Amino acid sequence: MKLYVPHTGHMEGLQDLLACPENIYAVYMAGTPDYVGTGRTNLSAPGLEEIREQTEYAHERGVKMEIVLNSSCMGGQHLTPQGFNKINWYFDQLNRSGIDSITVAEPYFVEMLSREYDMEVVVSVLSFVDSPQKAVFYEELGADTIVIDPAVNRDFPKLEAIKDSVSCGLKLLVNEGCLYQCPFRYAHFNFFSHANGPGPKLNVLDDYYYYKCLSIRINDPQQLLKSPWIRPEDLKEYEHITDTFKIGGRTHFTNWILNNVQAYAGRHYDGNLMDLLDCPKDIRDLFYIPNKELEGAISQWKRCGKVCNKCGYCKRLTEKVVQVYSADGTRQALQPLNTEGRI
Amino acid sequence: MTITDRLSKNRGQLESKLRNLLAKPVFLIETDIFSLPCGCCGITINTRGLQADDLEIFEEHITQYLEAASSDLEIEPSFLFARLVPGTAEIASLNSRLLCSRCYMDFARGSGKMPRPDIYILNFDRRE
Repeated sequence: MKLYVPHTGHMEGLQDLLACPENIYAVYMAGTPDYVGTGRTNLSAPGLEEIREQTEYAHERGVKMEIVLNSSCMGGQHLTPQGFNKINWYFDQLNRSGIDSITVAEPYFVEMLSREYDMEVVVSVLSFVDSPQKAVFYEELGADTIVIDPAVNRDFPKLEAIKDSVSCGLKLLVNEGCLYQCPFRYAHFNFFSHANGPGPKLNVLDDYYYYKCLSIRINDPQQLLKSPWIRPEDLKEYEHITDTFKIGGRTHFTNWILNNVQAYAGRHYDGNLMDLLDCPKDIRDLFYIPNKELEGAISQWKRCGKVCNKCGYCKRLTEKVVQVYSADGTRQALQPLNTEGRI
Repeated sequence: MTITDRLSKNRGQLESKLRNLLAKPVFLIETDIFSLPCGCCGITINTRGLQADDLEIFEEHITQYLEAASSDLEIEPSFLFARLVPGTAEIASLNSRLLCSRCYMDFARGSGKMPRPDIYILNFDRRE
């Protein structure tokens, strides 16, 4: 199994992360947002010299380095002569720094990188490749690897069709805690891409999408189980699709990341599934989902028609297993959800 | 004295000390006492005009001031840190936090001052 592991972006974090690198195939981090941003929050902006040093350090430990520049909206800057030259220069510098692969969401960058450089070109989850047709398009643009949209992580006929349609590598993101069929998905990633990219910084009052994302799950906890994460124990169900898995979460502490590495490399986790999911801490501290009690649910999800109002499986499972942390003074206790699936 | 009076006085005193130390009008825009559902609690002092260089040069003094501000509010200064605006040299806040056991592990796993690129540890009393 090849495990791609998030890295917060500074040397100290990398040293902690790779103290025992046995289970880590590659680490990935963002670059500086001055050229191409990323579609997720960033905690650092490593410059080219830092990227070079960290790449060397990773290579010394037998670990590959991937840079993620997966802005889902460039605002057209990349199509201007000035923007193109700037980005082209940055890609060239990244190539010289010795990195192994580069993840992008913009189709133009896929073609540009594949024509000019030997770096592995990876299509981001933020390209939303959720069908064999789209996978073929990206392969023809030059993709070496495609990270499949997690929205189809539990749609096995679709995954198998994608596998059969392309010869490039496939990667699955295992722990994204996003809402299934989230209505904010494109808007939120576009917002992040501008907030964490070149151009004027936004002075937003509040992240509307973030608050809605939390509120929807608090009011309807079955959404927690509908999110298309993959339990460590269920990786075996995906081995005919790919042997390459990606853990999300480059804004988390190294301790959290290593806990995930241990769980997914060991294909076992005895604890709260929320500990593994890349989702806001606010709901991690609210819900308790005993991972062990989800054993076997994959069998239902493999044959699921995704018509929730007719099925009701996730709702019933939520009522059965999901608990809520509550505080009595300073002591924490767990309480069940009520029968309506609401707190 | 009410808790809000104590907070106000505390904010003003720390701001004044930092301005005298750094010879610039550092602005403490808000001081909050917090309690998180995970079990952590403490104070957050949101700053404007304070930068990573200030912290590195005057770390000893700033740590002492933050220690005093924390003790004054009866919060044991066992874990003091600054949070940076990600990817920049701007300090967003100074913090004193009593860590719950899970968050303690997040901070304790590393050995250096920056367990995450946006966190700069000023004091950390490690548990046995």
